[in-house]
Amino acid sequence: MSPNSAGRAEKLGYTNVKVYHEGLPVWTKKNNTILSTLFLKDAWIDKGIPHILLDVRPGSVAEKGFIKGAVAMATKDVAVNIAKFPPKDMKPPIMIYDQNGGDDAKAAAKALVAAGYTAVNVVTGGFDAWTAAKYPVESGKLAANIVYVPKPRPGEIPFDEFKKIAAATPADTLILDVRNTDEGNAGMIKGAKLVPDEEILNRLAEIPKDKQIIAHCSTGTRAEMAYHKLKEKGYNVKFLNAKVDIAKDGSFKLEKP
Amino acid sequence: MQVRSIRTNAFAVLLVAGFIFLPIYQAAAQDKAAAPATAPQAKPTIAKICTNCHSAEPGNLRGYFEGVAYKSQSIQLKIDDVTEVLQFDKSTLKVLNVQAENPDEPLRSIKKGKDVRITYTEKDGKKFATLVSAKPPIKVAPEKMIGTADVEKLVAQGPEKGKYLLIDARPAPRFMDGAIPTAINIPFPAFEKMVDKLPKDKGALIIYYCAGVT
Repeated sequence: MSPNSAGRAEKLGYTNVKVYHEGLPVWTKKNNTILSTLFLKDAWIDKGIPHILLDVRPGSVAEKGFIKGAVAMATKDVAVNIAKFPPKDMKPPIMIYDQNGGDDAKAAAKALVAAGYTAVNVVTGGFDAWTAAKYPVESGKLAANIVYVPKPRPGEIPFDEFKKIAAATPADTLILDVRNTDEGNAGMIKGAKLVPDEEILNRLAEIPKDKQIIAHCSTGTRAEMAYHKLKEKGYNVKFLNAKVDIAKDGSFKLEKP
Repeated sequence: MQVRSIRTNAFAVLLVAGFIFLPIYQAAAQDKAAAPATAPQAKPTIAKICTNCHSAEPGNLRGYFEGVAYKSQSIQLKIDDVTEVLQFDKSTLKVLNVQAENPDEPLRSIKKGKDVRITYTEKDGKKFATLVSAKPPIKVAPEKMIGTADVEKLVAQGPEKGKYLLIDARPAPRFMDGAIPTAINIPFPAFEKMVDKLPKDKGALIIYYCAGVT
């Protein structure tokens, strides 16, 4: 979209228009981005979009007033506490604030970018800007541990729930294994029915409509496609978004994809 | 200089293309509205953002690539809020504009969320993909490009000292997620509406960026 915009600006007579074509994907590998307190509140906190909010002020200051959901971590501790953050491959959005959007927040952001995190944001104006906007403030003890749970994909079943169903499948539920026949022959979860993903739409008659269907495969990819196909046909269906490793005896291990 | 003027024209062509296609799309939309509603819950076949330059075409879907399963030869595509799952035959499927790491499974090299066009046939309510074309990057002339190091230098100086205006051309919700320091947001579709945000001085340095090479 930037080249198109640049073209339009030139058409208006602007003579020194450039395109930063590498754009954000390259920028965020080397630098933090920023967001305003308004955007932090509207686009993240109020919408409940999962993110990590770091308060890098001294604990004694932060406890007098902080932004709801913030985790306390002083700037100097960020670099040594990298292991407390979720793996960088999860690309967790991290929002950092200090008192006034100054060097402390920037230094903390720098440490996280250096550690390979690519969605690191400094909150413009920091806590002062937050209170100036009269946004709600909490006081007391801040959370000490970082908790980040990415939003589940539509139709995802939690691991615990799946394990419970696999251990004792209720009469109104069917575990649908959508891997291919060879994979199924190497071991299947007890009570599961195998219908390969690509055959589902031709074999709908074999899939009971009066039962809750739980689809799984070996990585979560085909299970999600099966979920969408069955949902469109009016099924009550969920899928397991997991790497599933099934032994010959039907015992299995789940791993986040 | 000759070369430069040709490249400048490329921008103009894009611009003109946008103007030409937009009215066609609007006309098509009106036709649809006038036609009897045979399928009231028809699913969209084109993502909103694609309509900046393209219109709905029978036998084609335009949206975001979600994933591929070679084991079941299926593709998952997202068109705004709707998900489509299509079958394909890996021996006959055509794949365009993809640099395949593994030539046997080129779809694996398409990143999640990439804009793609899928040509398909439909039989018994099942969609079968025959072609997947990733959106090719828009070409930008080298002299019009600015690199990360230069943008970093300018941002460190700030717009006043660095004498620049940095513009984020992405949609507003993406800008709200986080943006390059000192940038303002003028989403491409809002260009006309926000033209007053551009500097008065036509010689001023304006830098556009978005979510990378798109």
